[in-house]
Amino acid sequence: MRSPADDFQYQPPSLLTREGFAEALGMLRKRMAERLSPFILDLALVTILWVLITYGVSWIVWKEVHYSLLPSWAFLVGVLETVALWESFGQSLGYRVARKSLLGESRAKPTFRQRIVYYLLFHISVFPIIGLAWKQPWHERISGLSVAHNVRGGEKPAPWYRTTSGILVALLMVAILATTFSVTIESDTWRRFLVNPSKAGRIFKALVSPDFSFWQDAVFKLIETIYMAIMATVIGVLVAAPLSFFAARNLTRTPVARFFYTLIRGVLSFFRSIEPIVWAIIFLVWVGPGRNPFAGFLALLIHSIADLTKLYSERLESIESGPVEAITATGGSWLSVLRYAVIPQIINPYISFSLYRWDINIRMSTIVGLVGGGGIGQLLLLLLRAQRFSQAAICVYLIAMLVWGIDTLSSRLRRYYEQGRTIQKEVAEESA
Amino acid sequence: MSVKISGNRSQSVPSSFRYLWKRSVAFMLDWAIVYYFLHASMYLYLVFWGSQTIAGWNYYKNNAYVAFFNPLRMDSWMWWVILGGTLLLVVLLRSFGRSLGQRAFGFALQGDKRSSVYAIQRLIRVIAFPVSMLLAPFLLIVSALREHAPKKGLLHDRASRSSIRTYIHPSGVPRKRIWFTQWGWIAIALLILTIFLGWVIIDANIGVLISRTDEARRVFLDIATPDFSHFAVPDPVFYQRAYPQMFSIVNLMVLTVLMALAATLIGAFFAFPLSFLGARNLMCQNRTGYVIYSLIRGFFNLFRSIETLIWVVVFAVWIGYGNPFAGVMALVIHTIAALGKLYSEQVESIDSGPIEAILATGGSRLQIIRYGVIPQIIPSFLAFTLYRWDINVRMATIIALVGGGGIGDLLFYYRNQGDWSQVGAVALAMIAVVWTLDYISGRVRERIA
Repeated sequence: MRSPADDFQYQPPSLLTREGFAEALGMLRKRMAERLSPFILDLALVTILWVLITYGVSWIVWKEVHYSLLPSWAFLVGVLETVALWESFGQSLGYRVARKSLLGESRAKPTFRQRIVYYLLFHISVFPIIGLAWKQPWHERISGLSVAHNVRGGEKPAPWYRTTSGILVALLMVAILATTFSVTIESDTWRRFLVNPSKAGRIFKALVSPDFSFWQDAVFKLIETIYMAIMATVIGVLVAAPLSFFAARNLTRTPVARFFYTLIRGVLSFFRSIEPIVWAIIFLVWVGPGRNPFAGFLALLIHSIADLTKLYSERLESIESGPVEAITATGGSWLSVLRYAVIPQIINPYISFSLYRWDINIRMSTIVGLVGGGGIGQLLLLLLRAQRFSQAAICVYLIAMLVWGIDTLSSRLRRYYEQGRTIQKEVAEESA
Repeated sequence: MSVKISGNRSQSVPSSFRYLWKRSVAFMLDWAIVYYFLHASMYLYLVFWGSQTIAGWNYYKNNAYVAFFNPLRMDSWMWWVILGGTLLLVVLLRSFGRSLGQRAFGFALQGDKRSSVYAIQRLIRVIAFPVSMLLAPFLLIVSALREHAPKKGLLHDRASRSSIRTYIHPSGVPRKRIWFTQWGWIAIALLILTIFLGWVIIDANIGVLISRTDEARRVFLDIATPDFSHFAVPDPVFYQRAYPQMFSIVNLMVLTVLMALAATLIGAFFAFPLSFLGARNLMCQNRTGYVIYSLIRGFFNLFRSIETLIWVVVFAVWIGYGNPFAGVMALVIHTIAALGKLYSEQVESIDSGPIEAILATGGSRLQIIRYGVIPQIIPSFLAFTLYRWDINVRMATIIALVGGGGIGDLLFYYRNQGDWSQVGAVALAMIAVVWTLDYISGRVRERIA
C-alpha cells in the first residue's frame, strides 16, 4: 500500500533533462550561498578589524598611513587562519547572524578533538571553495560535526562578553571609534576647536545682522537659480518621458527593443552615478568661461534625465496589464493602447515624480552653483571667499527660504496628485 | 429655524472661510500669471529690442545681463496703469471662460443650480466687480452688526446670479480638448514663455556646445583614460600643498569614508536622545513637554534647511581651512538634525501596546522608553543610520570645495591644474566607493527593515 508520505519523499533532480539540470544548479547555488555568506562576513570582519587597528595604531604612533604592516601573504594567511579558528572553536559572527552553531550528532556539544579535526579539514574543504558543493562537506562529515540551526531551549543566552562574536564586535566598535577619531581629529584640532570660536563668531554675527542693501543682486541670482532648476526639470521631463518607454522591461520585448533597453539603462545608470558637481565641472570646461548658469543647467539636465527615466520606467514596469489586454483584445492599435491603457495609469505618478525632481533640482542648483554653476550658489561662494559674510548671510537666508518654500509647495502638490482629487468631499462641504 | 430671505436663490452660496480663502488664492494665482506675462514680455523686450528710453526704461540693446527686475524701474504713474490693467484683464479672464487659477483649484463659473452662465451675466460680473471690491469691507462690517442673517455672497456674485464654485464634470460628457479651453491656452503659453525666458536668463547657447566640441572631447578623453599613477603613491606636489602627511588617492578615500563614519557616529550619538524629546507621542502630554518638543523640532527643521556646505564654511574658519575635522563638524550638525527628525518620526509611529502594558504595571518613564520604545525602534534606527552614513560619504567627497578636507581636495586641486586624467582617476575612485557603499548599505537595510 502506498502511503501519502511516499509522495513527499525527496527525489534528486535528474541531471539529464534541462529543467532537472537547472534545478540542480539552483540548489547548488543556494547551498553555496548559504555556506559561503557567513564565511565571507567573518572574513570581512577580521580584515576590517586588522586594517583599522593597523591604521589607527600607525597613525597615532608614527603619523603615517599603513593598512596591514604585514607582507601580503602573511596578511592573507593570518586572516584566513583566524577565520578558520574562529569558526571551528567558537560561534563566529556569520553563524551568529544566521542563528546557527556547530553541533555534533543529536545536537551534542562538540568535543575538543572534533573541533581540531574540523579546523584541520577546514583548509582542504572551505578554502578551495569546491568543498562546499557537497551536500555534506568533508570537514563536517569526518569530524562528525555539522552547522545546524540553533534551537534555544529555556536557558539564558550567554552575555556578550562571554562569546567570541560579542568580543570581536565590541573590539571592532572600539577600533572604529578610536581610529576614525584619531585620524579625522588631529592633536592640534581640539585646541583650536576650543580656543577659536571667536573666529566663527564673526560669521555668526554676520548671520544675525545681514546686509539688506544687497538684496537686489541676491534675488536676481536667486531667479537665475530658479530658472536653472525649472529649465532642467521641464526639458528633463520632455526628454525622459518618451525615453522611459524604451527603458521599461515590459514594453521592450523584441531583440531590437531589448538592445535599446540595455543601452539606455546602462548609459543612464552610469550618468546617474556621477555627481552633478562633477558634471558641472565638465560642462564648465565645455561651454567656456562666462557661461556658468548654462553649465549648471546642463549638469542638472543630465542628472534629471537619468533620474527621471529610471523613476518613470520603474513605474511603467508596474502598470496593471488588465487595461492593456482589454484594448489589445478589442483590436486597438499600439497607439490607442498607449493612449487609453498606459497613460491614464502613469500620468499622476509622472507628475508627482516630476515635481519631486523639481524640488531636488532647486536644492541641487545651489550646490552646483558652488563649483561655478551660476546662480545664487556661485554668488554665495564668491562672497564667502571674499569674506563678505554679512552679504553672504542674505544669500543663505534666501536659499533657505527658497528650499523651504519649494519643498512645502511640491510636497503639497505631490500629495494632491498621489491621493487624487477630493472634489466630491469639497462639494459636500460647500453644500453643508 | 432659518428664514429664507431671497426667494429667487434656491441654493445657499458657500461662504466658509476655507472656500473664500481658496477662491482668493485662485484669484491671486491668475493675477500673478497675468503679471508674469507682462513682466516677462517687458524683460524680453528690453533684452532684445530695448531702445534708449521708453516710459522711463533706459537700457542697452541686446544686453543679456539686463537684470530681471529692470522692468520694475519705471515712473510711479505707470504702476497704477499696470495695477488697473492687470486687474481688469484678470477679471475678464475669470469671467469669460475658465481661467488657469480656477482650473488649478477645481473652480468654475456657474449659475444657480450649477447651470451655465449667459454672456450678460458675465458682463455684469466684470462691471460689478470693482464696486463689489470697494464695498466689500463695509458690507462685512454691516453684516457683522446686523441682527438678522444677512444675504450671503459677494456683491458681484449676487448681481450676476452666478458664482465661482467647485466644479463637478458631468459624467458621460466628454471633456473639452485642452486647446479649446482658456486655461489650456494659458498653460501652454506659460510653459513656452517660461522655457524661452529661462533660455534667455541662463544665457543658454547650443552653438557654443557645438563650436567647443574639441575642448569637450579633450576633457572627456582625458577623463576616460584615468591616470592611476598616484592611486596608491602620493603625489609630491599635492603633499606639499595641503596635508602634513603623504596622501594618495586611496589614503584620501579611506580618510573620507572615516570622516563620514565619524560624523555619523557622533551625529547618531546626539540625535538618539534628542529624538525622544522630539517625539509628539512621548512629549506632548503636558505643557512643558510640548514646549520642549516644539523647540527640538524647530531646531531639527532649522538646521536641516541650512546646507552642509555653509556649515563647512563656518567650521573652516573656526578650525582651519582644509582640516578634516571642520568637515566632520559640519556633517555632524546636519546629521543630528536629519537623523533626529527621522528618528523622532519613527518613535512617533511605534505601537502603543507595549507602552500601555508597562504603564499599567506601574513602570516609570525611563522604563517605558527602555522596555516599551527601544526594542521597537532599534532596527529602523540602524537602517536610518546606515542610510545617513551613505549620504555623508557622498557629501564628504565634495565638502573640500569650501575647506572641509577629504578626497575632494585632490579633485579640485587637479581640476584647477587642468590635469583631467588625474581628475578621472579621483572621480572613478569616488564613484566606486559611493557605489559600493550604496549597494552594501542597501542590502543591509533590506535585511534589517
